Amino acid sequence: MDLKHNGFPVPSDYFGVLWALSGIKDLLILEHGSTGTCNYNAFNYMIMNRQSPKGKLFSSGMDEDDVVMGRDEKVKEAIAELDGKYRPEVIALVATGVTSVIGLDLQGIIEEIQSATKSKLLSFSSGGFSGDYNQGIKEVFRSLVNNIVEEPRDIKPYTVNIIGPTIDSFNNVSDLAELERMLMLLGAQVNTVFTCKTNVRDIKNLAMASLNLVTRDTGLEAAKMLKERYGIPYYYGLPFGVRGSVEWMNDVAGMLGLSLSRKILAEEIGKYGYSILELVNFLQNLDHLRVVISCPLDYSIGLKRLMQDEWGIDPSLVVLPELDSASLEEAIAGINPHIIFGNSYDLMIAKNVPIKVHAAFPAFDHIYRYDGTPFVGLRGHAHLTQTIINHLNQNPEVFRN
Amino acid sequence: MYLENSEIGKKCMLLSELPEDGTLIATARALYPGQHCSFRAVAGTLPLIKNSYALLLGPAICLYNAKLSMNMRSLTSDPRPNNLLFVNYSQDDIIFGFREKVRTAILQADEEYHPEVLFLITSCLQEIVGEDFDSCIDEIRPHVHARLLIIHTENFTCEGAAPGIENMFKSFFELMTSQPKEEKTVNLLGLWTSTARKTELARLLCSKGIVIKNVIPSYCTPSELQKAPGVQLNIVLDQYALPLAKMMKEQFGTEYIYARKPYLPDSIEKWYKDIAGDLNIDLSAEIEELKTQTEELLSRARIALAGKTCAVSSISGRTFDLALLLSRLGVEPKVILMQTVLPDDRSDIQELLTQGIDPIIFRGDNSLQNEELFAELSPDISLGMQDRQALARMAIMPVVLSTSYYMLGFESTNEVLRRLLEKPKSLEALMYKEQILANGEC
Repeated sequence: MDLKHNGFPVPSDYFGVLWALSGIKDLLILEHGSTGTCNYNAFNYMIMNRQSPKGKLFSSGMDEDDVVMGRDEKVKEAIAELDGKYRPEVIALVATGVTSVIGLDLQGIIEEIQSATKSKLLSFSSGGFSGDYNQGIKEVFRSLVNNIVEEPRDIKPYTVNIIGPTIDSFNNVSDLAELERMLMLLGAQVNTVFTCKTNVRDIKNLAMASLNLVTRDTGLEAAKMLKERYGIPYYYGLPFGVRGSVEWMNDVAGMLGLSLSRKILAEEIGKYGYSILELVNFLQNLDHLRVVISCPLDYSIGLKRLMQDEWGIDPSLVVLPELDSASLEEAIAGINPHIIFGNSYDLMIAKNVPIKVHAAFPAFDHIYRYDGTPFVGLRGHAHLTQTIINHLNQNPEVFRN
Repeated sequence: MYLENSEIGKKCMLLSELPEDGTLIATARALYPGQHCSFRAVAGTLPLIKNSYALLLGPAICLYNAKLSMNMRSLTSDPRPNNLLFVNYSQDDIIFGFREKVRTAILQADEEYHPEVLFLITSCLQEIVGEDFDSCIDEIRPHVHARLLIIHTENFTCEGAAPGIENMFKSFFELMTSQPKEEKTVNLLGLWTSTARKTELARLLCSKGIVIKNVIPSYCTPSELQKAPGVQLNIVLDQYALPLAKMMKEQFGTEYIYARKPYLPDSIEKWYKDIAGDLNIDLSAEIEELKTQTEELLSRARIALAGKTCAVSSISGRTFDLALLLSRLGVEPKVILMQTVLPDDRSDIQELLTQGIDPIIFRGDNSLQNEELFAELSPDISLGMQDRQALARMAIMPVVLSTSYYMLGFESTNEVLRRLLEKPKSLEALMYKEQILANGEC
C-alpha cells in the first residue's frame, strides 16, 4: 500500500549516509541541494537525543540556475570555504534527491578539485534513491573502509572496534557504556566505535584492533571486508540477559586470548543478575503474558532471547521495521498484547496496550542521553527486569487477563 | 564600521549601508541551516485547515522530515491535527511515471478519509522531472468527492519558503466564491495559531461588534473559506498572505489592510488606529489604556535594561520596529540577523537611522559564523532562536520570544518585555553549567 497515514515514511539511504557520517570528528558533510533539506535536518536531528548537526552539516544552497544549467560552482566554492576555514580531515559530499535526479557527477567534481583541496573528499551520490537508511549506513561503512582505513603498522592486543552504532542507534549512549564496561572486566579496551564515537585518525587505525565486535547487522559487511583485507576476526551479536551476557563475555574473551575471572563474574551477577522470580510474588504469574516486539533485527533477537531465557515469556510476535504500520496495527488488534516493545510510532499505534516500552528508533518523544539505562549486558538485564516489574505493578490488570 | 580588522567584519554591513533594494551580502558559501523550504512550511500549515487532508507527494527525504516535524509539534502547546497523508516518490516513479500511484492514492484517500478538500502537495522533484501532474489531477477530479487543490512547492527555484506558502494561500482562493458584503466583519490573514481569536486584536474588535469570520489559515473549514470574500475587511498580518488579499480584492472587491505586527507602543497605536479607521470604529479609549500600561512596563524595564546591548534574529513581524523598542529601553541593538529585508521594512529602517541607531545587519548563512560574530560583539542579550547552549557559553543571555509570536498588539510587546526582564531558573542553570565548561576549556 503506497498511502501512509499513521506510520512514518521510512528514512531513505540519504539519512543513513548523514547519520553514519555525523559521529566522525574532523569530518564535515556538505550536501548538494537546496537548503530546505539541510534546514529540515537541523530539526530532525533533535529526535536523536536532541543532537544538532550544527558544525557538522552544511548545504551548498543549490538554486534553479544550478538545476537547469547543471552548474557546480556553488558546491566547489562551498568545499573551498569549508576546507580553508575549518580544515577538516575529510569533507563528505552528499547528494540530495535533486542532485541525484539531475545526474550531477559528484565524483567528477572531486576528481577535478581534490588536488587543490587539503581535506580528503569523499562522495555519496545515491541521494535517497538506493533503499532505506540501512543502505546509506552500509554505503558509508564501505567507503570509509575503502578510502580511509590504512594498513596497520602493528596490532594492538586486547583491543576491539565496535562496529555498527551510528548516531541514530537506539540507546547507544547507555549500551556502549555497558559494552565498554564489560570489556574492561575482561581486560580489553575499545579502539574506536565505528562510527558514532570516532574520528578520522581512529578510522585510519581501525585495522590495528585485534577484534571487531559487530553490534548491528548493517556493520557485518564492513567487518567482513576488514577480515578479508587485514585478517581481523569479528564477532557478531549483542549480549542480552544474564545468560546472553555471560556467553558474550566468554566468547569475546576467548577470541582475544583472555579469560573471564569467576570472582568478577560472581560479583557482577550478584549485583545485576537478579531473576524476575526474585521480584514478583507468588500470585504474579507471567507465563500468560502476550508480548509484541517491534525492533530492528539485533534488538529483536536479543529481546526475544532475554524474555524466553530470563522471564519465561514467549513473545507472541516479533516484528522487524520492514512491516508497515497498517499491518502492525492489524496484528496488534489480533493478538491484544499486554506488553509491546517498539518505536515511538509503534507505541502510538498500540494505544490500548497497557505496557509500552520504548525500545527502538525513531524516538521523537524520548531522550536517552544518560548512560545508565542500558538494554544490553548485565546492567541492561537489571535495568530491563526492573523496568518491566515496575510496569507490571503499575498495570496489575495484566495479571488477571 | 565595527570589526573592520576581523575576517568576519568584512562580511558585515551597517544598516545605513543597506542598498535600496534591501539585498543583503551573502556571508557564506557553505550554509547552515539555510532557509527552510516551502514543502515543510506548507506541510506544517495545512493541518490547520479543518475537514481537509493533505497528500504529500515527495521523496522519502521530504516525507520523513514532514512527519517528524508534525510529531515534534504534537509534543508542544500548539499541536496540529494529524491530517497528513504520504506517498513516496521513488526512483521507479521518476523513470516510469508517478501518475498511477498518485491516482490510486487520491481515490483511496477520498474513500477512507472523506475530506471536504484534499490538498495535493508536490516537492522539488516532480517539478524537475516535469511530469504533467496537473493534468493527471484534472483527469481524476470527476471521480472523487473531495475538492482537489494542488500546491506546488518547488523550493529549488528560490532561496526561501515564500513562493510555496503564497501558493498555499492562492489555493485557498480557488475555494472562494463571490459573496454579498457583510458589514462589521473581518478576516485575519496570515496568523498561524489556534489562539488567534483570543488575541488582543480579536478581543478589541469583538468588543466593537466586529465579527471575525475567518482566521486564515488557522482552523477554518473549506466552506468557511468559500464565504471569506464577503467580509468588510481583510486584515493582512504578514507578507505571505498579501498575494491572497490582493487577489481577493481584484476578484471579489474585498478591501484589505496590510498590517504587519508592530512592537513599539507608538507603532501599535498607529496600527490599531489604521485598522479601526478602515472599519469605522473608535478604539481610542482602549488603545490609550493599553498603551499606558505598556508604557509603564516599558519604564520599569528601562531601569533594569538600560545600557545593555543585544543581538536580534528570527523575529515575527516588524523586526526593525522591535529594534526601535529596544532602543527605547536603552538597549543597543548591535546586530540584526536576517535573511530578507521586505520593502515595507524601509520606514522602520529610516526611523532607526534618523534616531542614530545603525546596527550591523548580517545575513546569517552559517550558524557557526553567526556565533563567531556574537563572540566578537559580545552582546548581553540575544533575542530570537539562536542556540541557547552556545549563547550561554559566551555568557550571552538567550531570550526566546516564541510565546509572543501568537500575540498581537500591546500584549505582544508586554510579553517581549516580560521575557527580557525575567531570567528563568532553568536558564540560570544552563548558564552556570556552560560557564563551568567554558572555564574548563581555557
